[in-house]
Amino acid sequence: MHPQLQLLVALQDLDEMINETANQGTELEGLGFKHGGLDELKKSRDDLATKIEPGHLSWYKRLTGKFGHAVVPVVSNLCTGCFANIPSSFVSKTNENKVQKCESCGRLLYWP
Amino acid sequence: MDIAEVLKHTSSEHFLPNLTATDKQGALAEMVEGLISGTQISRPDAIMQMLTSREALGSTAVGPGIAFPHGRTLAVQRLTIMIARSTEGVDFDSEDGNKTHLFFMLIAPPQDSGHQYIKSLAALIDRVQDGDLRDSLMAAEDYEGFCNAMKEN
Repeated sequence: MHPQLQLLVALQDLDEMINETANQGTELEGLGFKHGGLDELKKSRDDLATKIEPGHLSWYKRLTGKFGHAVVPVVSNLCTGCFANIPSSFVSKTNENKVQKCESCGRLLYWP
Repeated sequence: MDIAEVLKHTSSEHFLPNLTATDKQGALAEMVEGLISGTQISRPDAIMQMLTSREALGSTAVGPGIAFPHGRTLAVQRLTIMIARSTEGVDFDSEDGNKTHLFFMLIAPPQDSGHQYIKSLAALIDRVQDGDLRDSLMAAEDYEGFCNAMKEN
């Protein structure tokens, strides 16, 4: 996996966790979980973001604002964001060192 | 949510009856290794990173001798539950300072819009409040015995 995509996946996982804590923290705390480290987690998230190239980060932010999730898995040659067909040529040797975007919706593509 | 529904997200391949690790990172790594074995999941590092971040938020060892490591990551395509036990116990930063012996690890994809994993988490936490059940779970000989104990009224 492209190192930048790896960072973007980690960033999205962290954003997911921060959002979930913000939106469902009460429910989770009702189950007994504590979230005392939220500020530290946000700091880790911001530190991680500094390692991502500005162009990728800007694209990630734009897509997150538009769709909720910027990075989506490709399953059965489909972008799971918009269900557009992803040509198998996308995974060719030529493209494996690039951060790939869906040609239809622009989401960043991740092959699990 | 019915406990039988929750158990549909796990299997005998996702049951580790004897964890060998005695510290938190080692136990998480052992469970992640168990989680991915025999599956299409190819990014254990992403799962470990997510779980480690989640533990930094606050320990998931919230029950008496029980922990529920959990979270969402792109590395999985569906909710998967890993069950593990440790007779010796793991130092999992529990609130009461005691060792953790029983683990239910829930890993969900970001697209789990029905919050299936939180409902599963709630059902599991509710179920294992019973001390006699926890003793039965620790004593269960195999996965089938473990699930039968979970489903018993």
